[in-house]
Amino acid sequence: MVGTPPNVAEDHLVDWFRWMITMRTFDQRAWNLQRQGKIGTYAPFSGQEAAQIGCMSALRADDWIASSYREWAGLAYFGVPLVQPLLSSAGHPDGGCMPESLNVLPIQVVIGAQLLHGVGLAWASKLQQQGRVAMTVFGDGATSQGDFHEALNLASVMKLPAIFVCQNNRWAISLPVERQMNVRSVAQRALAYDIDGFRVDGNDVLATAQVMRSVVDRVRQEQVPVLVELVTYRLGAHTTADDPTRYRDAGEQAAGAAADPLVRYAAYLTAQGLLDAAARARMQQEAQSAVDHAVAELERRGRVDAWTVFDQVYATRPAQLEEQRHELQQRVLAHRADGAGGGAR
Amino acid sequence: MLEGEQKDPAQADRGAVGPIRSYQWILPDVGEGIHEAEIVRWLVGPGDWVGLDQPIADIQTDKSVMEIPSPVAGQVARLFAQEGQLVRIGTVLVEFAVAAPNPAGDAPNGLPPGQSPHQANLAPSSERRVLATPAVRRLARELGVNLQQVTPGGEGGRVRAEDVRRHANAPQPTDDHPVEPVEPVELVEPTAPLASSPGRMDRVPFRGTRRAIADHMVKAKFTAPHVTTMDEVDVARLVALRESLRPEAERRGVRLTYLPFVLKAAVTALREYPYLNASLDDERAEIVLKREYHIGIAVDDPTGLVVPVLRDVDQKSILQLSVELAALTEKAHARTLSVPESHGSTFTVTNFGSLGGRFATPIINYPEVAILGTGRIEQRPIVLADGSLAARPVMGVVLTFDHRVIDGGLAARFLNRVMGLLGYPERLLLEML
Ligand SMILES: Cc1ncc(C[n+]2csc(CCOP(=O)(O)OP(=O)(O)O)c2C)c(N)n1
Ligand SMILES: [Mg+2]
Repeated sequence: MVGTPPNVAEDHLVDWFRWMITMRTFDQRAWNLQRQGKIGTYAPFSGQEAAQIGCMSALRADDWIASSYREWAGLAYFGVPLVQPLLSSAGHPDGGCMPESLNVLPIQVVIGAQLLHGVGLAWASKLQQQGRVAMTVFGDGATSQGDFHEALNLASVMKLPAIFVCQNNRWAISLPVERQMNVRSVAQRALAYDIDGFRVDGNDVLATAQVMRSVVDRVRQEQVPVLVELVTYRLGAHTTADDPTRYRDAGEQAAGAAADPLVRYAAYLTAQGLLDAAARARMQQEAQSAVDHAVAELERRGRVDAWTVFDQVYATRPAQLEEQRHELQQRVLAHRADGAGGGAR
Repeated sequence: MLEGEQKDPAQADRGAVGPIRSYQWILPDVGEGIHEAEIVRWLVGPGDWVGLDQPIADIQTDKSVMEIPSPVAGQVARLFAQEGQLVRIGTVLVEFAVAAPNPAGDAPNGLPPGQSPHQANLAPSSERRVLATPAVRRLARELGVNLQQVTPGGEGGRVRAEDVRRHANAPQPTDDHPVEPVEPVELVEPTAPLASSPGRMDRVPFRGTRRAIADHMVKAKFTAPHVTTMDEVDVARLVALRESLRPEAERRGVRLTYLPFVLKAAVTALREYPYLNASLDDERAEIVLKREYHIGIAVDDPTGLVVPVLRDVDQKSILQLSVELAALTEKAHARTLSVPESHGSTFTVTNFGSLGGRFATPIINYPEVAILGTGRIEQRPIVLADGSLAARPVMGVVLTFDHRVIDGGLAARFLNRVMGLLGYPERLLLEML
């Protein structure tokens, strides 16, 4: 961490670290939960905590967020409960129900689609003069989608308060970023739309927070879009169905681990006298209990009837959906009556 | 969510607080859409106490080997599958005796509440996470080696199979200090061994690499009608050439073998006879002629045949091929080949002669359509052009081909060309890029 430290209150600095530890603990537990059969496919974010938390730290509580499946550290920091990613990976119908108090869209798995949603939200915010910005977060792989171009182009043409944040974690599943694009940075693509582009060391939470703060302020005031590239590294697998040792070597893995944002930030805080072993142990324990709490909540929510998947889609269900819901219900009930037992899956 | 079934509460030996209930763990879909998995290794046995998230088994899907962390804290009551067994998703695998209720982290094995003994394979924890592939980890367990104590010899601090073997063979220190606690993977042999038979015989599980090789061979041999043609070639000039180049290669740190010459000869002939560097696309009724020359190299390994792939052989020098061959062979033994290094060959070469034998009838590396084999080079009597007898170094060469795509005439012309290049290796100069 170099340069002038941002003008941030000390308890903020420590709070970021607390969240990084909590989310690392969460990530590892979620991985195990998948292996144990308690949740389904899960996309770990370990290594990207600083980039995620740093980028959300600049937002106002009522700003919009449209993100991918790998943003849970940022989302949790922004206020989404820890049980949410678990519900989402467990295929629970409530997995997409973000708290009503937050303007956060359900996570997006279709690569790049959330950029368009973000642009729509930014446009609406501009039309309604709400003073909100819309942040959309996506991966390096997403920049190869047509949606990326459409979103940046429209935001630039319409001068929308949209912030495009690329979490460049070097890999799109097994495709390294060098084979993803022929340009040296994602940020330079901003030139093509005549908007500002920044490239930041995303594993430095301070640098990320500092750049994001000025970007968010500018976007809000001047009503223009900005592109930010956070350079980071995915320490783990793409998802629980992936085995990264098949496509990256131990050397790369070790280099990634050496740049672990948690290690870097802990060293910084310790040097600043803001963190000691006792405080760290306490944070670790709190993290553990927060995670335990989320797991208990998941188990408490339990299984639900299959037909409730229709319930969260529209405020009032259209006739066709009502029909489908009814049909599914009849089938499941008939199946149970046949003695097939158990709850619906 | 997946609460264990409430069963007859059987009191466990340890005076646990509260009633004991049984929790049955069902094998979930640990990948994405897998149907079955193989139990590679149990890391716990009946009677063992385990903490939440402590590794209990290694299982293998078609995607990878993965570690299963315990879903509960408690005592292992029963294991329902043998190592090596293929188990369908949804099968009950382990029964635990758990103190009820089962709050996460209520670990009766002395772990502090809530502390997970297992850091998932995601990121470094404060303790040293050893870099090693699943195969190496497994080898370590089989040899009773604690990976933490092995000196890594691989790139980036990776522990390789040979490091583990070396460690296992090294004399153990006979100090009277107790040995450091081994990784918590020391195992109790699970339940009964595989049906041990009366009489004098052993029954060896047919699985893993062995089974994969078998499937591949059966598929090749029962799909492609195999024909093998054989010949002998006088390699006196090749022997002399290699001998003369060897010091130069050695000076550059390279051990020069005959194989790179064989590869160059094969690729030269393949470029002239594209039907041998091909595959048959049955579905579209098309023969696919490949314009890339990625050559599979059969490597004998105690754990089973491995065929690493040397890519773009046509574009590489003999020296470069030697270097890459050495690296690939080492990786093949350590089972650390990457995907491009183990897939995508267009033609295969097997040097069965390195183990002995003048002739063989190799099986095609399906879906390729031909495989070239080279036998041992040895002094043999041959009749020279003038009718006189002489002792010369002679090498057997064989070509097995898929008769659906290649006829005998073409195969013979190809093999003759290869023999011509091996008999008069200076001709390879004419083909140099
Ligand atoms: C439109 C679309 N195409 C393909 C996929 C399959 N897919 C899932 S994740 C992924 C890679 C995305 O990489 P990146 O954008 O770098 O995000 P990361 O996973 O690294 O966070 C792909 C191709 C998808 N989900 N959606
Ligand atoms: Mg990526």
